Amino acid sequence: MDKKLDASFERVEKALAVLIDSMTKFTPSEKAANDVVKAERELFLGLEELEVHQRNVARIKQLKQETEALDAQTKQTISALWEMRKELVAVAPTKFSPAKEEKYPFTTQQLLDYARRISRNTLPPPGVTNGVDLSTAAPTTPDDQAATGPNASFATSIGGGGGGGSGQGTAASTPAPGVQDSFVSQVPSQSQTGATELPVHLKPAVNPLENAPFFTFPTIDRIRSGALAQYQDLINRGIDPKNYDPEEEERRIKQEEQDRKDAEERARQEREEQDRRMREERERMARERELARQQQQQQEGSMDRRGSVLAPGQAGGQPARAAPKQFTFLDEDDDDEDED
Amino acid sequence: MASEPMSIGSSAQDPPPVPDATSQEPKYGGHTRFELELEFVQALGNPEYVNYLASRKFLQNPAFVAYLDYLQYWTRPPYLQYITYPTSCLKMLELLQVERFRKDILSPNLTHALVTEGMKAAVEWHRESLS
Repeated sequence: MDKKLDASFERVEKALAVLIDSMTKFTPSEKAANDVVKAERELFLGLEELEVHQRNVARIKQLKQETEALDAQTKQTISALWEMRKELVAVAPTKFSPAKEEKYPFTTQQLLDYARRISRNTLPPPGVTNGVDLSTAAPTTPDDQAATGPNASFATSIGGGGGGGSGQGTAASTPAPGVQDSFVSQVPSQSQTGATELPVHLKPAVNPLENAPFFTFPTIDRIRSGALAQYQDLINRGIDPKNYDPEEEERRIKQEEQDRKDAEERARQEREEQDRRMREERERMARERELARQQQQQQEGSMDRRGSVLAPGQAGGQPARAAPKQFTFLDEDDDDEDED
Repeated sequence: MASEPMSIGSSAQDPPPVPDATSQEPKYGGHTRFELELEFVQALGNPEYVNYLASRKFLQNPAFVAYLDYLQYWTRPPYLQYITYPTSCLKMLELLQVERFRKDILSPNLTHALVTEGMKAAVEWHRESLS
């Protein structure tokens, strides 16, 4: 571009030099003037072209800047993304404990069983207030309306006397509603309920749970009588509780006791057996002695019989004397009479 | 309870197995580890008992604190279903993990407040559900 312009300038200068030259020689040449005009026109064209060129250069510069800016932005975005990715990778994934991952299915029955098991420790028995004033804090319950409203007995009969807390025995003896409508306007409600309910100041006397505390945790007494207390007791007694089972121990002691008793029983039986044998022996000996005695008697008897044969008068008198032996006194009487 | 210092060197144990008919667990004074730990974790529901433990400096013993942490397995199934005093016991177990509470429970006022508030709450939650 520069060369082209330089050439144009050169031509203009040369043409001008030729023209000036011709003018200085006082021979102005028309051709030289035309050359100058032509050269100048070309120069203007070249200058216009230069202008366009300059504009283009400016444009290119601007575009280059724009590109650079965009490049920088792209780089920044990419680096930001990279950073972000690194951070994401660096974040430790949440580890769910195995207990949460595993599901523990349960049946309705199990749930109800559990509810029943815990209910005695979570729900106070009716009438137990633990010192909380139940009548004031919840004034919108139907029970309270029944107790304080003007149609107390009527409300009770409709509500069925749903006895929350201490409101027992209200519905049981209320008359039919039809009868009551007529009563309500005439009889003060206090006396109406008074007929069926105990006065307020007597109610605590019939409630066995009055002032009974309710705890949602095991009491100290319970803790003291539990397995841990037994454990401590064993340690205090110098017994190592590990692998020590009092039941097993008791069973062992019982077994020993039983064995001892069995041994005693056996010894006793043996003693008895021995006694029995000795007794039998004695009896046998007694029997033998008896037998021997009898035999001896028999022998003596036979000898007597033999003797009676020899002396009949002696033998005949003996049975007659022996027979009345049983009735000795008769003999004596007879003797007396005889004597008299 | 004994107040001898406990060893911290003992390695952490797994929770005892859930008892079933066939298990042959070693017994300690006639009770399995499951039974003893269940009883203990429920006894912790009693603020007076925790106060007693605090007064014997158990709650400052690192081994005991580690044991309290270990006992948290009772808050998860299948052990959860064996706890019959769930309301106070689980809350106390949660509170006992906090160091500040382990120090504060030494105060008889706090103990008393826990007992009375617990008794009130036991009656009131039920009444709220009725109304």
